[in-house]
Amino acid sequence: MTSAAPTATTPPESSPSPESSNAATNRRILDALLIPILAVFTALVIGGIIMLIFGDNPIAAYRGLFSGAFGDARGWAATVRKMTPLILTGLSVAVAFKAGLFNIGASGQFIMGSVASVAVGINFEGMSPWLHAPLALLAGIAAGAIWGAIPGILKVYTGAHEVIVTIMLNYVASLFASWTVYAGGTRGQSTGPLWDPTAGARSETPDVLASAQLPWIFAPPYRIHWGVALALITTVVIWWVIYRMTLGFEIRTVGENPRAAKYAGMKVNWVVILAMIIAGGLAGLAGGIETLGLNHKFATEFTGAVGFDGITTALLGQNNPFGVVLASFLIGAMDAGGTRMQFDSGVSADIIGVIQGLVLAFVAAPLIVRQIYRIHVQVKSSSGPGWGK
Amino acid sequence: MRKQSRLYGLITLMAVVAMLAVACVAPVAPAAAPAAPADTEAAAPAAPAADIKIGLVTDVGRINDRSFNQSTWEGVVQIGTELGLVEGEGFKYIETQDPKDYADNIQQFVDAGFNIVVTVGFALAEATNAAAAENPDMYFIGVDQFQGEALPNVAGLVFNEDKAGFLAGALAASLSKTGTIAAVLGTDLVPPVVAFGAGYEFGAKYINPDINVTTTFHPGEISQSFVDPEWGAATARQALDQGADIIFGAGGQTGNGALQEVAAAEGAGTTLFCIGVDTDQWETLPAAHPCLVSSAMKLLTPSVASIVQQYVDGAPVSGNYFGPTGLAPFHDFEAAVPQEVKDKLAEIDAALQDGSLQTGYVP
Repeated sequence: MTSAAPTATTPPESSPSPESSNAATNRRILDALLIPILAVFTALVIGGIIMLIFGDNPIAAYRGLFSGAFGDARGWAATVRKMTPLILTGLSVAVAFKAGLFNIGASGQFIMGSVASVAVGINFEGMSPWLHAPLALLAGIAAGAIWGAIPGILKVYTGAHEVIVTIMLNYVASLFASWTVYAGGTRGQSTGPLWDPTAGARSETPDVLASAQLPWIFAPPYRIHWGVALALITTVVIWWVIYRMTLGFEIRTVGENPRAAKYAGMKVNWVVILAMIIAGGLAGLAGGIETLGLNHKFATEFTGAVGFDGITTALLGQNNPFGVVLASFLIGAMDAGGTRMQFDSGVSADIIGVIQGLVLAFVAAPLIVRQIYRIHVQVKSSSGPGWGK
Repeated sequence: MRKQSRLYGLITLMAVVAMLAVACVAPVAPAAAPAAPADTEAAAPAAPAADIKIGLVTDVGRINDRSFNQSTWEGVVQIGTELGLVEGEGFKYIETQDPKDYADNIQQFVDAGFNIVVTVGFALAEATNAAAAENPDMYFIGVDQFQGEALPNVAGLVFNEDKAGFLAGALAASLSKTGTIAAVLGTDLVPPVVAFGAGYEFGAKYINPDINVTTTFHPGEISQSFVDPEWGAATARQALDQGADIIFGAGGQTGNGALQEVAAAEGAGTTLFCIGVDTDQWETLPAAHPCLVSSAMKLLTPSVASIVQQYVDGAPVSGNYFGPTGLAPFHDFEAAVPQEVKDKLAEIDAALQDGSLQTGYVP
């Protein structure tokens, strides 16, 4: 749209035609980073205070957290592994935000993507890996997209709020997934269609065929697969779509002001549905990647929790695709370091959940952070990190 | 302009703090890392009793879940204390946050030179066996992990839950006046719960073929089904309304909800009774005292302790280790259970143990 765009790392938020002045650009990047950084910092401090109250040693805990996430190759591997699905679910939430929609349903879309990928992955024996894995991933994307489209369509045609519908669909997805792998009960209930007959009483699918598995970049024990690369490529694509394509411009315009968008001749309804389809597809892709790259099967214990964490990474990343990657890296590192923290310091890994919750609260309510650090809001702030702005 | 400079100042401050934090952390992490392999070399061969280090990896859930993880951990604490080990040094646990972390959590103990790792729950079976194959010098105990092909350094601690359930069903059918009994169970996505429920039904029918058994499994997903006491209570209430007078609650907090509902009902302890699960719930759930006639037990704690003891004695178990199951004492209801029922239960228990009586449950 314009030639004055800054180089990749952190493109400016929002305003479709960025001003050219370098200082202004730097200022905006700084401003966009400020709230997330302060939010994380504040959350860590409060987490430390909570640990002190419970008689734990926060220094030892954070040291353990750090060395668990970055201390050795295995730690780095865990961080990258945890980060991968968060990038995609974060993008899912962020794209919906751009269109002014709150996608709480990434969790359900993730699960539907997992199930669809597994369904393709355990069938079609003898298919070439070059065909099988992409087909399984596409199935995941499609299932997630359909699951995302439903709330979009319901919103447009019936006015049903997407928050309610997506929350409900999370339950439907989760129970549907449990049914597909159901091992049957004691009275001869029929088993689920994807259940592995050799698993006995366990409710899980067989392993996906080798031809559908994403190859390792670093084999176990590191367990890093090509899904990471897919997630990063997807990030660039989504950035391009949102900031460089007409569709992205329409999504952003609808998000900022649906009336103006309508007045400008945009098909607002269609844009809303399309944004939800993209969001659902991204979360579905996350499910496919986790299933084909890491778990190699679906079982009831694989929940869609990363779908909810996507809300955190989207908000922390200020709904910017590259911001989401940074945020996913941070949240992934916290998840990865939790075990080592527990092991070294004896602090329960639950504190990680508390800290992440605080981060979410602070980025969702930036006024708190602004009050704490006495940062004054400029009247025309282009970076107001509110909901999807 | 002023605002902007303040902003930069703030960033600088943050950067300094961050650098300080990193500076504190950085030298420590590499120092700690080489220490671990050194430990491994010292501890792995021979493993004299003094060098025993026991690690426990939980299923997704808390260590103090008043159920599975907790009972297993109590076994570790018991044997660890007997061996003169110190918690945090000689034995410690990791709570799993995400089912994808099982392998990493086990690895944590491998790296730190532990020689026994206890993993809790059938979901960890794959990760446990993989770690065992990689670390032949270490010893693994997999709770609820049935071993198909036995590895020399893995003991699968399993239970015949159907036998405990069978006894509970026999007791329930013997005590029932209305001819209707019920079971309120966690999800049928988890095999041991299914075994408890099936055994209960078969046991009740064994005593009274005409008895009406209402078995209800929690309909939700696995993450909800053991932590839903409201559903347990509501289902128990429904069963009571339909004339059930004995209720078997099996499924973590969900089952506990059912037991407490019966305990609070009119006639609890005189016409209405409840039966707990896993451990002797008389000890763990005082709120159920008004109705709790017994519990269908799988004796985790002593089994874990005994497997570790055998390892320490130089005769490690491998393959499947069937832990004892049975009914808990009747406690305050000793008098409420007629002697002929007690005799019958003892007879059934003996027959189940020597194999002359089958529960009828096929896993």
